[in-house]
Amino acid sequence: MYTRSIVAYTSNGHGYMPRTVDLLQGTLDLLILKTLSWGPAHGYAVARWIETLTGEVLRVGEGSLYPALHRLEERGWVESSWQISSTKRRTKVYRLTAKGRQQLKAETGTWSQFVDAVAKVLKTEERPL
Amino acid sequence: MNDRWLRWFQPTRRDPKRDVDEEIQFHLDARIADLVSRGASPDDARRQALSEFGDADAVRADTVRIDERIIRRERRADWISEFIRDARLGFRSLLRTPAYTITTVLCAALGIGVTGAIVSASYSILVRPLPYPHDEQLVTIYSDNPGHGYKSVNISWPDFVDWRDRNQTFSGIGIFTWNSNTITGGSGDAERVTGSEISPNLFAILGVRPAFGRLFLPNEDDRGRAPVTLISHRLWLRRFGGDSTLVGRTINLDGRAHTVVGIMSPGFNFPDRGDVWVPFKTDPALERHGNRGYAGAIGRIKPGVTVAQASADLHRIDALLAREVPDENEGWQAGVLTMRDDLVGDLRRPLEVFLVAVAMVLLTVCANLANLMLARGAARGREVAIRAALGASRGRIVRQLMTESIVTAVLGGVLGVAIAWWGVRLLRFAFPDQSPPFYVKLGLDAVAIAFIVVITLVTGILFGSVPALRTARTNLDTTLREGSRAAGTGLHRSRLRGALVVSEIALSVVLMVGAALLARSYKNLAGSDLGFDEHHVLSARITLPSSDYATRGEAAVFYQRLLTDLRRLPDVVSVGSAQGIPFSGWNVQGEAHVEGAPPPKRGDELIAHYQYVTPDYFKTIGVSLVRGRWFNDADRDSLNPVVLVNELMVAKAFGGHDPIGKRMGSSGSDHAATVVGVIKDFRHYRLPEPMGPAVYYPYASYPGRQQTIVVRTAHDHPQTLIPELRAAVRSIDKRVALYQVQTFDEVVSRSFWRQRLQGNVVTVFAALALCLACIGLYGVISYAVAQRTRELGVRIALGASRGRVVWLVGRQSARLVVAGVAFGLIAAYFAVGLLSSLLYGVRPTDPGTFALVPGVLAVVAFLAAVIPAARAARVDPIIAMRSE
Repeated sequence: MYTRSIVAYTSNGHGYMPRTVDLLQGTLDLLILKTLSWGPAHGYAVARWIETLTGEVLRVGEGSLYPALHRLEERGWVESSWQISSTKRRTKVYRLTAKGRQQLKAETGTWSQFVDAVAKVLKTEERPL
Repeated sequence: MNDRWLRWFQPTRRDPKRDVDEEIQFHLDARIADLVSRGASPDDARRQALSEFGDADAVRADTVRIDERIIRRERRADWISEFIRDARLGFRSLLRTPAYTITTVLCAALGIGVTGAIVSASYSILVRPLPYPHDEQLVTIYSDNPGHGYKSVNISWPDFVDWRDRNQTFSGIGIFTWNSNTITGGSGDAERVTGSEISPNLFAILGVRPAFGRLFLPNEDDRGRAPVTLISHRLWLRRFGGDSTLVGRTINLDGRAHTVVGIMSPGFNFPDRGDVWVPFKTDPALERHGNRGYAGAIGRIKPGVTVAQASADLHRIDALLAREVPDENEGWQAGVLTMRDDLVGDLRRPLEVFLVAVAMVLLTVCANLANLMLARGAARGREVAIRAALGASRGRIVRQLMTESIVTAVLGGVLGVAIAWWGVRLLRFAFPDQSPPFYVKLGLDAVAIAFIVVITLVTGILFGSVPALRTARTNLDTTLREGSRAAGTGLHRSRLRGALVVSEIALSVVLMVGAALLARSYKNLAGSDLGFDEHHVLSARITLPSSDYATRGEAAVFYQRLLTDLRRLPDVVSVGSAQGIPFSGWNVQGEAHVEGAPPPKRGDELIAHYQYVTPDYFKTIGVSLVRGRWFNDADRDSLNPVVLVNELMVAKAFGGHDPIGKRMGSSGSDHAATVVGVIKDFRHYRLPEPMGPAVYYPYASYPGRQQTIVVRTAHDHPQTLIPELRAAVRSIDKRVALYQVQTFDEVVSRSFWRQRLQGNVVTVFAALALCLACIGLYGVISYAVAQRTRELGVRIALGASRGRVVWLVGRQSARLVVAGVAFGLIAAYFAVGLLSSLLYGVRPTDPGTFALVPGVLAVVAFLAAVIPAARAARVDPIIAMRSE
């Protein structure tokens, strides 16, 4: 069902992040912030949303989501609470904070600039003088 | 929102491991369920979910680590916010009791302030490195002759040469001699500046560099070389306006052009202050081993060599010299001191005394604060009991009470910094001329502030801990049942408070004894009969430049004219001059002998002070003639001179017989002299140094270029004469500088500065401790009276007289005072040994002092106790019995 393609390992040696495309540092954070901006969600939901929306191009090694979520919580960009899921299980739900929303806005801007810049280079046919 | 509250109520129930496990398990289960619902077999689904997830163990470990970090940080924040809450609470409750708060804060501030001032002064004098690299290698070398009791005598040139050339332990030894020069040119009048002659290597040995130019070259001390000089940065700025082209140009010193080869760095001083340095030039007349007394030496020890080893090395050379030149070197040896010890000298012991005294003050402060806290604790036993009943843990209560005492200490600390700052300023003014020695940078710097912070916290913890523990131990049950008044007043508490008061009294007794002894020593010194009259006299020094006054005759003409001009000034009573006035440090001695007396044994020679004075010198300084006559203007024969001697000389050299008409010789003249008069002994040397035999020659028989002028006026303020004095000198020769212009009163009072400082500082400490002890006593007694109001009311109702009631209260305070005084006197008896070298004219165990102090304390303590006792006597039985 899933094409398991090239597996890249993070340089920190933990090796728990098999990915198809190397995620730039901070990109995962940005994606998480974005998904949470639609409303509170648990980790599994965040993983599904990212998978669906990126069309499996950017498949996150799902485990790596959790350290990222907790680190965002440490920075105060998201907050969490335990709730009871529809399956009657205790589940941890994350929610974007005001600070996180600001961060998302700032990083979205930076990201767009970056993409534009790279795209410009890639579209240029002739060598600049 | 609600989850935040949830966390608030169960702050420690979180287990990050379990939470993370649960979270990951939920993820995997959800994924498996998803995949199964899309048609995968449960086994495949599980395998796929796990592989998608990656290394679950690593994820778990990382996530748990992050959570633990979050928890730690939150706990720290909780602790800090709790402290802030406690501090705020403490602050508010302190505001509710202003009398208590002001007393405690002031106590803490005084204790912290005086400790900060003394410790920072001691640090800057005793510990802070000297302004030279590797200052621990620098030593000062003197000559000692233990056999004859000579210590730290200045050295002779040939001794220096031998030490320099034959040692194995020094990387260098340099020599210097004190010097001063009249500088003319640049801006301003002719001016006398001090400095020294130095061997060319000396500043290199110190490890200093000039700001501009260079130091002296190795052979620049050869006689016959063109004169060169180094000048201080401050002289360069003051007199030459910081002219950058001065190096290489010449300036005029004592009438001779000297080329400035360098300007030293700002703040450089040598040997004490000093503005001008020239190469050390030996004088053939001084090139004998026995000619000690005119130079100092400074050496730098090789790395790794101890002072003792260096000293032994020089002693080895001394032993050789004693064999080579026995007449001049037998018994003599080098005295090697670290430069710091040499500079600190007499100041070390007073500072040690101050440190001990200030520690006692701080202890008294702590005892007093603990006492106040205990009283307060007793008064709020009920509050504590209620808090405990509401579930506050003992630790929590202790922490809250401690926080309160730390808040007090911090408030006191802030105020204490101000007091310390002010105290350090006062100490600066205590030094002669308001200027501490050059190597001392008095001031509150970071080190001092850090120290104050430390003593603040220690004080807070020290005086807070006992009462806090005490109060927190309050028995819940009894406290709540009894009224608030009686709360927590076990025997323990009053006994502890009694002990605190006793120790406060004991400490103040020790300090008072010390203060009394030091104050008495100062009084003895300042009040001792000096033998001269220091009031109404102005003095000033003059050194005529040798270039303009080449012969003795020319110098004599100058002084003759100056003294005549001065005598004509209004209000001038008499005028004279001498080489050195009393207390000026002028201290020239030599061998003397009476004609016809048997030659003395070696080492048993008669040593006498001698100098040349004008006829009216003694009259001017108020020394009287015992017999014979004064000098007159006709006494100018240098081949057959006349002399005056003092009474000590009569006793020592003439066996107490009338010396008039007898003949004697001394180092003061090559020719035997006839004694024409005897003057009363007076203290020429600074006290406590005793006076010795002295012989005086007429200035006219051997006129020198350097004299100190003394002028007695009818004015109460002789300094008003200074402008006229300067004008008189200028009108004769404007290239002549007048220096050390000062009244005799100043000269004398300055010489007692250390004793005065000792007396003042310890007296202030003793007064402080006494006040604190009285506050403590007052507190304990009034608290006891308040406690016993009901009992006293009953007694009065049953017919006890008011006097009886006062006696009941008084007895309690008397017991505390007697115990405190007894302990204090015993402690003082052992502590005064520290003072013995600082005392003058009083024994450390002076019975008068040991009797006086308890008396003073008893009176003051009585006053502290009488107010609460009187309150007790006024108790109205009806009100008292209704009160609870």
